[in-house]
Amino acid sequence: MAARWAYRGLRGGREGRRFSSSVSASGLTSDEVIQMRNQLFTKEKERQLSLYPRIEKIEVKYTGKSHPGSVFVMNKALSTPYNCAMHLSEWHCKRSVLALVDGEVWDMHRPLTKSCEIQFLTFKDEDPEEVNKAYWRSCAMIMASVLKRAFKDEYSVNLVKAPEVPVISGAFCYDVILDSRLNDWKPTKDNFRSLTRDASKLIHKDLPFEMLHVEAKVAREMFQHNKYKMEMIEQKASQDVEGLVRLHRLGDFVDVSEGPHIPRTSFCFQYEITAAHNLQTSQSELIRRFQGVSLPIHLRAHHTVWHKLLERSKRLVTQETSMEAAAESHEAKDETEEGKTLSV
Amino acid sequence: MRLSLVAAISHGRVHRRLGHGPRSRLDLLRNLVTALVRHERIETPWARADEMRGYAEKLIDYAKRGDSDERAMRMASFWLTEKDLIHKLFKVLAPRFQPHPGSYTRMLHIPNRDSLDRAKMAVIELKGNPFPPLIRPRRDSEKTLLNQLLKGYREDAQRAAGP
Repeated sequence: MAARWAYRGLRGGREGRRFSSSVSASGLTSDEVIQMRNQLFTKEKERQLSLYPRIEKIEVKYTGKSHPGSVFVMNKALSTPYNCAMHLSEWHCKRSVLALVDGEVWDMHRPLTKSCEIQFLTFKDEDPEEVNKAYWRSCAMIMASVLKRAFKDEYSVNLVKAPEVPVISGAFCYDVILDSRLNDWKPTKDNFRSLTRDASKLIHKDLPFEMLHVEAKVAREMFQHNKYKMEMIEQKASQDVEGLVRLHRLGDFVDVSEGPHIPRTSFCFQYEITAAHNLQTSQSELIRRFQGVSLPIHLRAHHTVWHKLLERSKRLVTQETSMEAAAESHEAKDETEEGKTLSV
Repeated sequence: MRLSLVAAISHGRVHRRLGHGPRSRLDLLRNLVTALVRHERIETPWARADEMRGYAEKLIDYAKRGDSDERAMRMASFWLTEKDLIHKLFKVLAPRFQPHPGSYTRMLHIPNRDSLDRAKMAVIELKGNPFPPLIRPRRDSEKTLLNQLLKGYREDAQRAAGP
């Protein structure tokens, strides 16, 4: 307790702090919350690493097309699919976004725990659905970390969640609840440009996405200040067999996630945050949906095409529009199939 | 400056010297053109294929004029040493390339010849030939990120324009 007060006294001299944090012992200022989450994350990571004091070897079989029948001898809980790709070639390291371990989708930097079969997924596969979903999730997380840091310390930013939107809807989104004083604030083009610049800074820093499976109570301790995150943690813990929750860390931003992410931020090439819409809900607080669009370095677009995609991404993306689009594409497919059978 | 030095250095000279002399070069190219019209896909050293390409395309341009044209018939009978190919040229190849304004041949590189000279080889073929294609351009699948975004954009535009 005394140590915490002393710590706050040391940090009190920073400029931009008009009021000291409130009296309660838990750090309510956003910086301190971020610090606390980071420390808990690092502690949990070290604890999970210390569960395997001696190095044990596992055999990982490669079932891809390029080097059929290769077997790697890797370290248990230390080696990652990225290390396996390093054994194959630089092309595999740069191209692979996710790994398929025993049929399950894994992050590239998540340690392998037992002997298994491995395959790499890239952006240009026959069916890159999982890769696309992971990329959209990672872009949403980058946007969330930018939004968290963007506002002045006096305004609170509560991140709600990243809705799982399909790629065909045209934009990734993140729901945020800003301070009630900002309810009438409409972000301008310059605001979006500065947010995009922050995001490009993150992308150029080439930060890795670190993943951790933690027990629900550790996650609850981390996100105690955010009730929406708490709800999400409860939901995830009830869905999972062992009650584990997936956390991802980008730099110093920690978030609960629904699935795997891309290995590093440098995989994004063109990135822009385009629009913010107010969602109409029955709740009293105003939920804002921030939207953006991005493309990876492997699938760059010409600037004319990019501007068209930007224009489209400014439109509000909701679960209904995305489901409508999916239904329409299914209808179109059925029609073409019927047409084919009729002609035959 | 010594004139002999100028003759020895060939920087910037574009005309190739094939065979034993100019007459021999024309015979070489004539044989190659005949082989191309007969087989529609041949492998030869790269320099000969490159040299022969212009003559083959000019011959097809002449053939497009029709076989009643005297000049076209004399060109065909000079360039094609096997006389049954004249019929093939006017009756098969000319109608095949009638809609195309130019570029009737395709030339691609091949690994160097296995014999001692390790010559740079090429394969030259007439377009529209009945053989399986030499290269298959691999398109990105419909489900990649960029293609999905573009598909969504197209569908939106159709929905806006349609009703």
